[in-house]
Amino acid sequence: MLEGGKIDSKQAILLMVAMVLPTAFLSVAAVTASLAKQDGWISILLATLGALLIAWLAVSLGLRFPEKTLFQFPEVILGKWPGKVVAFLYIWWYIHLNVEVLRQYGSFLVAAFMPETPISVFMLLIMAIAAYAVRNGLEVYSRVNELILPLILVSVVILNILAAPEMSMKRLLPVFEHGAVPIIKGAVMPTAWMGEIVTMAVLIPYLNKAKEAYRIAITATLIAGFFMLITQLADVAIFGPVTAAWLFPGLDAARVIHLANFLERLEPVVMVIWVAGVMIKISVFYWAAALGSAQWLELKDYKPLVLPVGVIIYALSIMAHDSLLDLFAFLGMFWGPYALTLFIVGMPLLLLVVAVIRGQGGSRH
Amino acid sequence: MRKLLACLALLIVVAGIFSGCWSRKEMSELAIVLGAGVDRTPDGQVRLTLQLARTGALAGGGEGGGGRGATTWVVSGTGSTILDAQRKLAERISRHINWTHNVVYIFGEEAARHGIRQYTNYYSRSPQPREITWVLVAKGEAKDILETISQLENTSAQDIGYLARAKTGFSINFKDFKVMLATKGSNPIASRVEIVERGVTLGPEKEKSVVHKGAALTGTAVFREEKLVGWLDESETRGLLWLRGEILKGVITLSSPTEPGKEISVEIMRGHTEVEPYYDGESVWFVVKIVVEGDLLEQQSSEDITERDVRKAIEEEMAREVEEKARLALDKAQGEYGVDIFGFGMAFHRKYPREWAELEDRWDEVFAGAYVDFVLESHLRRSGLLGKRGSVRE
Repeated sequence: MLEGGKIDSKQAILLMVAMVLPTAFLSVAAVTASLAKQDGWISILLATLGALLIAWLAVSLGLRFPEKTLFQFPEVILGKWPGKVVAFLYIWWYIHLNVEVLRQYGSFLVAAFMPETPISVFMLLIMAIAAYAVRNGLEVYSRVNELILPLILVSVVILNILAAPEMSMKRLLPVFEHGAVPIIKGAVMPTAWMGEIVTMAVLIPYLNKAKEAYRIAITATLIAGFFMLITQLADVAIFGPVTAAWLFPGLDAARVIHLANFLERLEPVVMVIWVAGVMIKISVFYWAAALGSAQWLELKDYKPLVLPVGVIIYALSIMAHDSLLDLFAFLGMFWGPYALTLFIVGMPLLLLVVAVIRGQGGSRH
Repeated sequence: MRKLLACLALLIVVAGIFSGCWSRKEMSELAIVLGAGVDRTPDGQVRLTLQLARTGALAGGGEGGGGRGATTWVVSGTGSTILDAQRKLAERISRHINWTHNVVYIFGEEAARHGIRQYTNYYSRSPQPREITWVLVAKGEAKDILETISQLENTSAQDIGYLARAKTGFSINFKDFKVMLATKGSNPIASRVEIVERGVTLGPEKEKSVVHKGAALTGTAVFREEKLVGWLDESETRGLLWLRGEILKGVITLSSPTEPGKEISVEIMRGHTEVEPYYDGESVWFVVKIVVEGDLLEQQSSEDITERDVRKAIEEEMAREVEEKARLALDKAQGEYGVDIFGFGMAFHRKYPREWAELEDRWDEVFAGAYVDFVLESHLRRSGLLGKRGSVRE
């Protein structure tokens, strides 16, 4: 096998949470609030529900072929060439996903903290670290994540508690003012975020207890959904109608913290969450892209591909957008439908339906 | 050996990279803004006034080494936007202008009357200033306010900041002010800041004493949408706080129920306000329920407050007093300015989301014509360390 590592269920849960949460924490509230206004939290609940279905879909699919990844079993299901095309599209998707995440990572640091530093510097540094993590394999960065993610989750909770004096729950009322349509529209982007749980279909062969995959995917989605929900509620309770105007409401929620004229300006905590969390997020997708490429080309090892894949991601990320606003417009308008219809729901559903009809693979239990 | 050399080379490279930051700025290279004022010049330009901390004087060893010199330096520059004005100021300030420790934004009366929204954007777009900076409107020019000095605090900007934080009147931070600007059916309000006589600084001999003029908070600035339309004085501001349910501390002074001409003061310990809107398709009315709890701490008269009937009378008097203050503010807002500054519109919005859609665009009109009923509940909880008065002959 290309990847020799195995991770246990707890590591897998934490990894799947870290894959979704860091970028969502920072800007999910602006995305949902711009469409669903004060009802954004209902959008998040809806998105969590959607993501649970997606998690079920991905795991059902993956468990039919517990020895193969998302890049290998399409061949079994659809035949050699159609399967190769689907696998190739998934490799592209993981690269594209990483291109956007990497760009977001750099844009945030430049916009909020170091306006004079070129964005390429931040992006290069994080890619170098991620490349090192990916070369060392799944097991290694999963363990790093075991240290990092609890700190991130605790920080998010503490930040929200400290910002509580600035919150007014009345800003969340009236509920359901503009009806269901804006709420559903607002749920698209968070569903695409949490829908990244399809990565379970890559991860299943590397779980030491594959039969716990359902539990892993569902627990991870619920944890991610819960943290998105409290972030959404907190940000709207703090900023009300202003929430949608911020590019990074998660940062601005930390900026209003002031305790006893002493504990103020906690933005660096947000920066730590961002840098550490996005490092893991990028590593997961980077690993998936490199592993997928190796499996697609039927190589014996994915390590020689780490550098080339990294270079592609880095170069595309530099070229992808010419401004931060461009990036956000792209993510807001295009990303949700694109990722959801093709990669998160469309193709997995197609694969599952075909597999069931043809009776390929089978649950182990 | 080769490994050792490689390690050494790596160490040197790492030391080179990590020795400093890309765009670091030392404390001694910063001009730290403590207060920022925006005035509108007669030709429509922005005049930005910055109160800068003279860090050397602030940090200096205090009284030991003779005079510390002035703690602040106030500079003004004109431009077409705030950033433009700041850019021009930078030509006269030898250090990087740093907004991260700014305490107050003061808007001049002229600027506020012309519409305040055009002056607020830079403060939230730039990552440096804080969202929790206090927002105040100067009676007169913001520049004059920032050019005062404080006797008690290091700088007048900090002094104003502490006054705002004490919440004895109405005060609001930048974030909440923006939320008010963005909310339909509510009009922004901010503290009014004004130069008044604040006390006497004594010289060695009585003749040399100087009457000290300083900036103080003297009420509330009232906006319609984004334009300043008028003020509430201190006592109307008390009423405003009752109506908004923001009362935190203060004193209610009422006349003695038994002895005319003598007064009783009750310290407010707790209070809260509920606004209940009603709408029957034609007219809108409100029932405002105010609950107030207080401790009696001063009594000029000598009735026996251990008697239940006397306490009842005092409680009724408290309620009347609170209602009177609230009516004062309400009448001014409904009658003179015709603007909803109490968040009644938001309460209506929450209760009647559907009906709100028809009324939101002419809400101030609806508010001005709305009938408001008060329901008061007052409790005298404690009376300090005394029961009945001790200095009275039986």
